[in-house]
Amino acid sequence: MSNPRASPDARRRPFPITPRIAVALSILVAGALAWMVLDAPFAKLVPQEGGLRVVRAFFARALTPALDYESPVPESTPHILMQALAAARRTLVFAAAGMSVALVLGIVLGFLSTTAWWAGDLVGGSSPLRRALARTVGPAVWSASRALIVLMRSVHELLWAVLFLAAFGLNTGGAVAAIAIPYGGTLAKIFSEMVEETPRDAALALRGAGAGPLQVFFFGLVPRAGPDLAAYAFYRFECAVRSAAVLGFFGFPTLGYAIAQSFENLHYGEVWTYLYALVVLVVTIELWSGALRRRFVA
Amino acid sequence: MTSRTAITTLDVEALRRARPRSTLVRVSVLALLALVAYAWLGGDIQVEDLFSPRRRENLERFVTTDVVPFALRGTDWNAAQYLEYARGLALDRGFSGLGSTLAISVLAIVLAACGALSLAFLAARNVATPTPFGDRVLRDSGVRSRAWNALAVVVRAALILLRAIPEYIWAFLLLAMLGTSAWPAVLALAIHNAGILGKLGAETVENLDPRPLSALRAAGGSRAQIAWLGALPLAANRFLLYFFYRFETCVREATVLGMLGVVSLGYWIQDSRAKQYYDEMVVFVALGAALVLAADLASAIVRRALRRAQ
Amino acid sequence: MIPGSAAFELHGAGVVFSGRAALTEASLVVDPGEALALVGPSGAGKTTLLRLLNASQAPTSGSVCVDYERLDALSPEKLRAVRTRIGFVHQDLALIPNYRVLSNVIAGSLGRMGFVASVRTMLFPRRAAVERAAAILERVGIGEKLYQRTDSLSGGQRQRVALARALFQEPSALLLDEPVSSVDPARARDMVELVADISRERGITLVVSIHDIELARAYFPRLVGLRAGRVVFDGPTGSIAPRDLSALYSLEGLDRVEPARIP
Repeated sequence: MSNPRASPDARRRPFPITPRIAVALSILVAGALAWMVLDAPFAKLVPQEGGLRVVRAFFARALTPALDYESPVPESTPHILMQALAAARRTLVFAAAGMSVALVLGIVLGFLSTTAWWAGDLVGGSSPLRRALARTVGPAVWSASRALIVLMRSVHELLWAVLFLAAFGLNTGGAVAAIAIPYGGTLAKIFSEMVEETPRDAALALRGAGAGPLQVFFFGLVPRAGPDLAAYAFYRFECAVRSAAVLGFFGFPTLGYAIAQSFENLHYGEVWTYLYALVVLVVTIELWSGALRRRFVA
Repeated sequence: MTSRTAITTLDVEALRRARPRSTLVRVSVLALLALVAYAWLGGDIQVEDLFSPRRRENLERFVTTDVVPFALRGTDWNAAQYLEYARGLALDRGFSGLGSTLAISVLAIVLAACGALSLAFLAARNVATPTPFGDRVLRDSGVRSRAWNALAVVVRAALILLRAIPEYIWAFLLLAMLGTSAWPAVLALAIHNAGILGKLGAETVENLDPRPLSALRAAGGSRAQIAWLGALPLAANRFLLYFFYRFETCVREATVLGMLGVVSLGYWIQDSRAKQYYDEMVVFVALGAALVLAADLASAIVRRALRRAQ
Repeated sequence: MIPGSAAFELHGAGVVFSGRAALTEASLVVDPGEALALVGPSGAGKTTLLRLLNASQAPTSGSVCVDYERLDALSPEKLRAVRTRIGFVHQDLALIPNYRVLSNVIAGSLGRMGFVASVRTMLFPRRAAVERAAAILERVGIGEKLYQRTDSLSGGQRQRVALARALFQEPSALLLDEPVSSVDPARARDMVELVADISRERGITLVVSIHDIELARAYFPRLVGLRAGRVVFDGPTGSIAPRDLSALYSLEGLDRVEPARIP
């Protein structure tokens, strides 16, 4: 493709700086600047004595994850593999519960934050009440829901968890809410974007056949964007599993909790057992999601 | 209308039974529904506990006293003391935390991009193969072609491992090994995002129009030449789009990683949390949210410009 | 079911899109049960005129009446009722590709029900509705496709799905926008014949926009010629002079030919 702005002068230059190269260069410069701002001497990249011991002991167990506890445990404790399985199960449970609420939030807020449901009809007179509604309530709800979405998704799930811990104390419902709120906001944003970008032909046809705004939205627009919506929701489920695992670091009984506990007790073999459990869980879901995506989108 | 008048000669029921169905989709939907039902009913989640009197008391205290700024809780300070308090909160901790959070995420995403750039080509099915870019004539010898196949498998597996482990866990492990500095946070973000960008980049390279690349191959270009001088420029815009998309998530995560002990906003969140200064904690969380918003906005503007330049 | 067929009236209707006139001073009276073809080159305003009749587009000047009621005087509910009575087959068909054929057809009846009922109908259609859809699909010749995914069908079959959706509305008028543009000539003839037959069987009004003059002359008793957004002739097919028809497509007097398609 030829660049219409390329002058003969530019061609003579040995290294023409195209916009793309400029962007790439400024990215590198930004990286260098960031490094200078930070306390990150290169010497700190090499593990020192204590750290070196951890590195050696930790990686020594990489291929030999613990198949039994590395210290005596009470009689009643289940086998470590059962423990890993139970932690993985709870990780999945938190992710699924959080996602199910997030999905509802995402659909409702995603709907409210599109213009499709209140923007007026093109033809014909409408009652004064309806017009007033379209002029006041519609835009008000629309902007309120957009603001709510921004608020929900700009706070990280772990920070929501920290807030709920402070407000309620340790409670499993708090973990579910911590996942549901930011994920619900993100789903709502992406859903409304996908729906706004989807072809409107079928929706307009349904409106032309007398369907109301809600019907047009849910049977003309949403199904048109359906495969993309489903693929994206499943991808977020994958992310929710990772988030649920990390929530364990804050005391919730997921894989992160087991990893943190074992690491702090220097039981590196156990850490690997739990890490592998997490990897298996995440990779399984990623493969599943990939298979579904090929089915949906292709 | 009378019922059971045959208005069609078709056997509707037979057509319904013979409808094309995807077993994968059907099983997936059922499995997901079962999973959600089990999640709520399996006894792992106690929602009703959120509404117990103890929780309500806790919430009441949190809302009515904990989050009320300390300065407003009936102190008899003079103006200078108020100023000192605000300066400590906003400048010494808040803004320096914002700055280091941003710096961590920028350095991390740049490192991630460098790593991903080299790994993406080695993971792409049309590059890391004995027959690159559809070259069916000049095959590599048996040993080398096996080596290429093995390399591609290893790189793809490594990318999966890098992104399967969350940033937070990478940072947790690295912190114990490297000690306190910005590196554990930077490397954790860089590693996880290299895994994601590497996968997205490989998919982009695989989906490139094969014709110009196989033409270069037919003209005698080497694998590396075609990858860097042919495929990279073609995929550059996509790469940049993904880069800025992941930058947004880096900013979100960089805030949080500080909670492990690296000086970003998260450090001050964790610090005020440990001291139970929830009023200050809320301020830092809000600052983090503002930073995320700003990064989202900046990235959205750049991405729109890139998409228009495409 | 609504008996009878619809009547349309345009009085000096004009439509302006961002400063450009798509239709100017168009007047037209369509009696109940009539069949007529709108002919003219692309960009002449045929689609815009059909959209006026379907109440999908408001005129910027003049008025549109359906069944002797001015559309701009109607409440949104009444307007929906009017649209429900008019079946429209779009040029681009406007189907949902990832739906099964049945769902696309049943979506034609949404205007007759409330939201809750429509959720029920779309997810778990009643036996009677399925059989009615099957009967209509059988009538348009693709009955066995009832449960196939719409995007697995050929272009001609999809066009019949769009027609079936319009018929499922139990319309008192059928509007078709360029039904022959996306299929080969033999199929185009079949389609026009099918539509003409069905509207005669049901006694409903039929308005078809078509750029193929020969097809229009063969199947429609009345022709309305459009050129550059104006009605240039209107009368029984036999009375239209060949000179008028050929003038329709000549470039003479057309300073600009721009497509009048609506996004």
